[in-house]
Amino acid sequence: MTTIATDPPRNGPSPLERSYSRLGMLLIAPTIVVFSAVIVYPLLAAIYLSVFSIYTPTLEGEFVGADNYIEMLTGGVFWSSLLTTLIWTVGTLSLQIVFGVGLALLLHQNIWFRSLARSLVLFPYFLSTVVAVLVWRWLFNDLYGALNHGLMQVGIIDMPLDWLGSMPNAMIGVILVGAWKYFPFVVIAVLARLQTIPENLYEAARIDGAGPIARFWDVTLPQLRSVLTVIILLRAIWDFKEFDLLYLLTGGGPVTSTQTLSLLVYQEAFSLNRMGQAAAYSVGMMLVMLVFMILYIRRTKEES
Amino acid sequence: MANVSFTNVRKSFGDFTALESLDLEIHDGEFVALLGPSGCGKSTTLRMLAGLEFPTSGDISIGGRVVNDLAPGKRDIAMVFQSYALYPHMTVGENIAYPLKKRGLKKPERDEAVRRAAELLQLEPLLNRKPKQLSGGQQQRVALGRALVREPRVFLLDEPLSNLDAKLRSYMRAELIELHRRLGKTMVYVTHDQLEAMTMADRIVVMHGGRVQQFDTPDAVYNRPANRFVAGFIGTPPMNQIEGTVQGATFVVNSHRQPIKREAFAASLVDGPAVMGVRPEFVGIHDSGDGLPATVRLAENTGHETIVTLELPDGARIMSRVEAGRKLSVGQPVILRFDPAGIHLFEATENGARLNLDIPVAATLSQSA
Ligand SMILES: Nc1ncnc2c1ncn2[C@@H]1O[C@H](COP(=O)(O)OP(=O)(O)O)[C@@H](O)[C@H]1O
Ligand SMILES: [Mg+2]
Repeated sequence: MTTIATDPPRNGPSPLERSYSRLGMLLIAPTIVVFSAVIVYPLLAAIYLSVFSIYTPTLEGEFVGADNYIEMLTGGVFWSSLLTTLIWTVGTLSLQIVFGVGLALLLHQNIWFRSLARSLVLFPYFLSTVVAVLVWRWLFNDLYGALNHGLMQVGIIDMPLDWLGSMPNAMIGVILVGAWKYFPFVVIAVLARLQTIPENLYEAARIDGAGPIARFWDVTLPQLRSVLTVIILLRAIWDFKEFDLLYLLTGGGPVTSTQTLSLLVYQEAFSLNRMGQAAAYSVGMMLVMLVFMILYIRRTKEES
Repeated sequence: MANVSFTNVRKSFGDFTALESLDLEIHDGEFVALLGPSGCGKSTTLRMLAGLEFPTSGDISIGGRVVNDLAPGKRDIAMVFQSYALYPHMTVGENIAYPLKKRGLKKPERDEAVRRAAELLQLEPLLNRKPKQLSGGQQQRVALGRALVREPRVFLLDEPLSNLDAKLRSYMRAELIELHRRLGKTMVYVTHDQLEAMTMADRIVVMHGGRVQQFDTPDAVYNRPANRFVAGFIGTPPMNQIEGTVQGATFVVNSHRQPIKREAFAASLVDGPAVMGVRPEFVGIHDSGDGLPATVRLAENTGHETIVTLELPDGARIMSRVEAGRKLSVGQPVILRFDPAGIHLFEATENGARLNLDIPVAATLSQSA
């Protein structure tokens, strides 16, 4: 109880500020709880499991120290799978960027079908992976697939090709489907940025004597640089850990030629029932992705 | 020679006609301002000259050569945009050098040209900065620098000062006048600010509704406005326009009979309705005597003069400019008398033409701001 009205002391937060910060805590509490439950706990659990030899069905086993990690670094499977992951990521991401930027530039032009094309282009991205993969498997089928049929009709091949069952066709196939599925993300992000480039810059460049190609290099591309960096980093992280598309399309095969790290972890945990080893692989995978993530975080910090 | 001419140029956007038949002859080395309210077609005119828009019909020529089909980069013009349009990822130096690079000049030549432009515009310490790190006034100077280096035949400027604060704007006005004097190049300057047009231009194109209303010197535009629009647009406050009737040697408004010299006006001035135009500085405020009775509504003292708003019995408003410190109170009844030297008569139509014959009357006045 106060009888004399005084100004709140200026050293330290005022009662109002204190009640605001209490409210703030209250509001973020649910997020912190959920975040801990679905991210922090599994992360710590994986690290914990990785130093045990665990039989998946019973989830029991003994402490083995760094054995799983030694196996990972010396066994060869991890490294070949990492290489496969990198080939897949670089391959599909490059195509996503090339087609994504290309189509965004095209859609940015004033063409009559622009709005229709803009919604159509999103179709692969919104289509469920399972449905998309089923359609693609049918297209790729070596006996009755439309792709072989078409290629034979035009005369590019004489015999049906085994698309998903042999190498390097299987890798090319997953890379193509990955590019098809995810390039709309690039289109939309780039298109949004293109629309914010001031028209005056192009006009100034035209007056300065820049032709269409010079305008692309000197006006468009520099403006796209920051958005492209973010897209590439994000998509690299997402493609690196892609699971469902690859699992459904080839299951990692033929043999292990499209087995990326995600598939390796899955196989180790649920086919070979070696949960501890799987956990060690996933920790290794996380460390690789950490590099991308640090780059991404540094990049977004620079932006703001 | 870099004279610029528009011959019967029309421009429409779909159904909308932005410019009706436009005819302009701009002389070599002249500083011409395109002045008019927003949306009157100034930028469209300038952009057609730049090659960023194409005339629907008619010809545009620079230095006697029709440029209708010439790309902007080939017209030998430079343009300064209101937004400056600096390339954000390039340094100041690279921005200024860009047009030269596109012309194929070698680096040493480019550097030399950039150095000279930077010296002229006092940009030397900023050459390695990015546009984002500059103030508005500095960005403005970089945009000017980029225009300067290529030594174009014609400079085009679209409201280049309107993003600057008032103080910087008046400083840059002086700079631009000085620059024009030094370079002696043809400049076409778009503005909606009459102060800029009046102080900088050799001649002003007053535009309204897609038409040229008057193309003349600042003095003529102020003292001999071609029609009611120009009279009502130029001057702050603009010319008063009082509706009344011409009867012989008098202009009758309410019960007041203002004597006029019929021989000073065109023969088309006949007895009947007309509009009398009087600049505020020619409206005298008196306590009594002969004249037009009015009531004081507002007296604004700016320090060096007082702008008085007066109301006539029929509700019409008249502005007067009197000396600072003149004591006038709101509601006070006064008598207005008009100086015969400052009387203009216009046709009574909406944008009626001025009917004065302009036989030399001592009517050259200092332009007011
Ligand atoms: N690209 C365009 N499409 C349709 N209308 C336009 C276009 N550019 C200008 N206009 C119209 O033409 C008129 C003149 O515009 P503008 O020359 O920019 O006027 P201002 O005198 O303000 O510079 C305006 O009514 C404007 O809306
Ligand atoms: Mg404009």
